[in-house]
Amino acid sequence: MTAGKSEKEAAGQLLDALYLDMFHLIEEHTQCRVNLERSNASGAILLARTRFQHGGSNSVSTAQIPTENSSEFNALCRIVDSADGNGISVQRQAVDKNNGFVEPLNWFSVLPPMSLRNAATKFKDCIELVAESTNLQRQLGEVLGWIAKLRQSPVLQ
Amino acid sequence: MALHSAIKGKLISVIGDEDTCVGFLLGGVGEINKNRHPNFMVVDKNTAVSEIEDCFKRFLKRDDIDIILINQNCAELIRHVIDAHTSPVPAVLEIPSKDHPYDASKDSILRRARGMFNPEDLVR
Repeated sequence: MTAGKSEKEAAGQLLDALYLDMFHLIEEHTQCRVNLERSNASGAILLARTRFQHGGSNSVSTAQIPTENSSEFNALCRIVDSADGNGISVQRQAVDKNNGFVEPLNWFSVLPPMSLRNAATKFKDCIELVAESTNLQRQLGEVLGWIAKLRQSPVLQ
Repeated sequence: MALHSAIKGKLISVIGDEDTCVGFLLGGVGEINKNRHPNFMVVDKNTAVSEIEDCFKRFLKRDDIDIILINQNCAELIRHVIDAHTSPVPAVLEIPSKDHPYDASKDSILRRARGMFNPEDLVR
């Protein structure tokens, strides 16, 4: 009887700790998305400025980006397991045309204007935030999974 | 030309409006593989919901994709498919777009979290 009660108490405490973790992760997750939104918006403004300065809406548009009919090329940034073992991180490759690593800025202009370069920098920041947000989302998913399991366990029924 | 053989790491894919796709491609996430399959899809007002759904499912099946970025307004159109995907890989991230700010109440993972503490459970 006492053993059963203490087991229930321990399970309850574990559930409390998991809920606390969940709230912390939700807070971090939301903050990360707000930062992502801010960076994304700054990038979009810089794209708009580039369009304004360099000949209308078609100067930076989907018309310039590669399609299925373009030749193959590799992504400059990839997701790898983080060196410290905590989730994932972004790894960047150097531009190397011979091996298929092309500079995306050159799709839009041979001499990209400063506003387009700045926009690219903002979107690179976004990619770092995406990796951070993914780590948080995965941790949150894991915590939610544990909470669901614990709530269904016979100890807490 | 086998450009992809010895590259380590996985890709980030993007489904979104013009600015989101152009922006993330400028950041260097874009790739077209040897089968001529891009890892991005531009959604405009003429894009059918079925096309977005097919593209999303195609990205889910690809084992070289680790993260799928999707504008939250596009995610709303295929919510049933996104909610059905609960596996951590690939991670589906709903991101804001220029015209639609981020709404936490629509985010799949946060809706799952909210389901963990409904008032009925707190009474028990």
